[in-house]
Amino acid sequence: MKKRQWTGMWITLLAVVLVLSACGGTSTGTDSNSASSGTEGSGAASTTLTIAAATDIESFDPHNNNNTSSEAVLVNVFDYLIKNDSEQNKVPGLAESWEQVDDTTWRFKLREGVTFHNGDPFTSADVKYTIERVAKDETLKQNSYFKNIVEVKAVDEHTVDIITDGPDPLLLNRLSKMGAGILPAKYIEDNGMDAFLKQPVGTGPYKFSKWTKDDRVVLVKNENYYGDEPKWNEVVFRVIPEASTRVSELLAGGVDVAASIPSTDIARIEGEADKKIVKAPIQRVLQLIFRQTEGSITADPKVREAIDLAIDKQGIVDSIAGGAGIVTRTSVTPGNFGADPSLYKTSLYDLEKAKQLLKEAGYAEGEAEMTISVSSQYKEQVEVVAAMLEQAGFKINMDVLEPSAFSERYSSKSFKEIFMIGIGNSLFDASNNYNRYMLEEAKGESDYNNPEVEKLLQSALVNMDPEAREKEYQQVQQIFAEERPAVYLYQMEGVYGTNARVNFTPRSDEMFYADEITPAAQ
Amino acid sequence: MGKYVFKSLLQVIPVLFIVSLIVFILVRVTGDPVALMLPETATAEDRAVLTEALGLDQPLYTQYMKFLVSALQGDFGQSFRYGQPALQLVLERLPASFELAVAAMFFAVLMAVPLGVISAVKRNTFTDLIISGISVIGKAMPNFWMGIMLILLFSVMLGVLPVSGRGGLSHLILPAFTLGVGLAAQMTRLIRSSMLEILSQDYIRTARSKGLGRMVVIGKHAFRNGLIPVVTIMSLQFTSLIGGTLITETVFSWPGLGQLLVVAVNTHDMAIVQAAVFVIALIVVITNILTDVAYRLLDPRIKFD
Repeated sequence: MKKRQWTGMWITLLAVVLVLSACGGTSTGTDSNSASSGTEGSGAASTTLTIAAATDIESFDPHNNNNTSSEAVLVNVFDYLIKNDSEQNKVPGLAESWEQVDDTTWRFKLREGVTFHNGDPFTSADVKYTIERVAKDETLKQNSYFKNIVEVKAVDEHTVDIITDGPDPLLLNRLSKMGAGILPAKYIEDNGMDAFLKQPVGTGPYKFSKWTKDDRVVLVKNENYYGDEPKWNEVVFRVIPEASTRVSELLAGGVDVAASIPSTDIARIEGEADKKIVKAPIQRVLQLIFRQTEGSITADPKVREAIDLAIDKQGIVDSIAGGAGIVTRTSVTPGNFGADPSLYKTSLYDLEKAKQLLKEAGYAEGEAEMTISVSSQYKEQVEVVAAMLEQAGFKINMDVLEPSAFSERYSSKSFKEIFMIGIGNSLFDASNNYNRYMLEEAKGESDYNNPEVEKLLQSALVNMDPEAREKEYQQVQQIFAEERPAVYLYQMEGVYGTNARVNFTPRSDEMFYADEITPAAQ
Repeated sequence: MGKYVFKSLLQVIPVLFIVSLIVFILVRVTGDPVALMLPETATAEDRAVLTEALGLDQPLYTQYMKFLVSALQGDFGQSFRYGQPALQLVLERLPASFELAVAAMFFAVLMAVPLGVISAVKRNTFTDLIISGISVIGKAMPNFWMGIMLILLFSVMLGVLPVSGRGGLSHLILPAFTLGVGLAAQMTRLIRSSMLEILSQDYIRTARSKGLGRMVVIGKHAFRNGLIPVVTIMSLQFTSLIGGTLITETVFSWPGLGQLLVVAVNTHDMAIVQAAVFVIALIVVITNILTDVAYRLLDPRIKFD
């Protein structure tokens, strides 16, 4: 009798587990299919592409997102007026052509015959609604990139004028990045933003199917896409925060592409016959930024030069980054407007001269004491840098902060002599790298002050002549290479593991355009 | 019993109030979400605008009063990251966490009950020694390491189970087992000592001397009484499974409450942290009440007052 009761309890427990997991099974039913198509994908046409990233998207609102991994997914659902091809050239997206009307007005000819995923036609009203939304709503995370747009005028059904509050040489760059994803005006006005976010609709090659937060985003082919027919029936973006799990998932065949492979796993993946490692430089340069406030030890140009010469950048790339990095003396890397190639793929390293410079600056061994603040994600890099600087005679205090604590100190500009940071560039323009050195912004942070640089930067900010503007930024870079308001360590590289059944060439903007990833020839 | 439950429920209110106050203050003194939300190139002006828009420029007590008033109406604010109601986001995750917790508990009970009983009945034998050894190892093994090892063995090398994510039953096995092992180790030892104590009681001796079979004595008389401490540990562990499976959820990319909370803490998504801690606290107090009720059902000598 008693025994039967206990048996009953077991069965009940088992039933609960089964029911619960069945619930899970229905809500993510496509998963098991995609996983198996990954492992058994050697058959005929496998039509599910599975990509694993470390972080989830924030939402399906392209205007209220601020991480690259969100944009990497969203570009498949929402189109921009202008697209960047894999070399960062501007190519037509939803706009077929564009021209500058005057200093503050650009005119865009829109593509005709495009429909949103819900069937609504795409017209100038959608562009007006979308761009004005992100330009005017200050609570949107992308607002700071678009707030200089004062108005979008619908000239006719398929022509719009975008008007800025002053000359803006960066307008096209803004329109080809996250925040400029075109939303369906009528759908949102009829149903509200909440409904849109639950069932988002764009014009892109893939349609929203399902989003299980911190698990996966599932997109399906848009049969009515205006461009070439989408290559995959289904694209699954999986979120796998733990790196070793991501690698295991790739090795087990559960995903076709895995992003952010740690340098320690590169050899392991390359050792597998049907797996590959692919790399591409990304828009992020790791750098040391100095405080030049009077009284600060790093205000002395000799000290800054000594720091630059004491660090073996290639050594850091090889030891910490597993070779995934490119040394540079500028943060404006190729692919960005204003780059100066003469400062790229090069670095200075001369330990003896560094020691001597430090002596010339008046510091005996161990007297030049400095604090380097850094977010914990770059802990290993800062340890190596500190060791190298100590070899040259510096005394270094490492201040490794948890990322949010670092962010807070960063925005309150309260670092000491040096902070180490990886700075990205979503606008692909030198202004993004240099605005921090303009007088107003530099105040309290680096306290950098050079009237010549100020003049060049101010002018470049509104210069509508691309050639002259490029020269201005190149001049700034040459000055920076001499004055060293920052020392650049290296440009980071994105490291991806792929399954041999797909061809994937990573992009420098870290986007995953599903149709640029193709099934490998059988 | 109804009166007891009612009284306990009343005590829940001050507990939840204090928990909410502590969490509210903690998430505000530990960092600034605005800095994390904006790009590195944002200006001081951008930050000021966003801070004001989010109401974070107001004094702490004003913010708390606002929070409290809306929380009483079931509104825990909007998540900064997702732009959706925080409570809804937390509740969405509960089924996944609950599923994992129940499955882990299932594994734990499945392993611990027979092992614990056997090791008590065969105390101080070689079998007992082996079982004790296993449970020490099980308890000491970090979840993180064990999870990764299980993935390597069963998913990468043998290819029989999925690596990560939430799906059908097969996705549940590895994470539930990982969580269940540590729990089982603890329960085995508890069941053993509890059974040992009971086996030395007079009524067991009486039952034996009546000529009842060994299995009947152990199964019918000893086992039921040996269960009370197990119920305690089960309830305690169950609540920690719901809220505290952060590491296992992360290793297996299990989209439960733990993972939500980890990301929310990292991104300073205040509303989610507040709502999640509130919900976890609520589950803890309710489980505690249910445990008390279970005691009384198992042992009629414990009275409700």
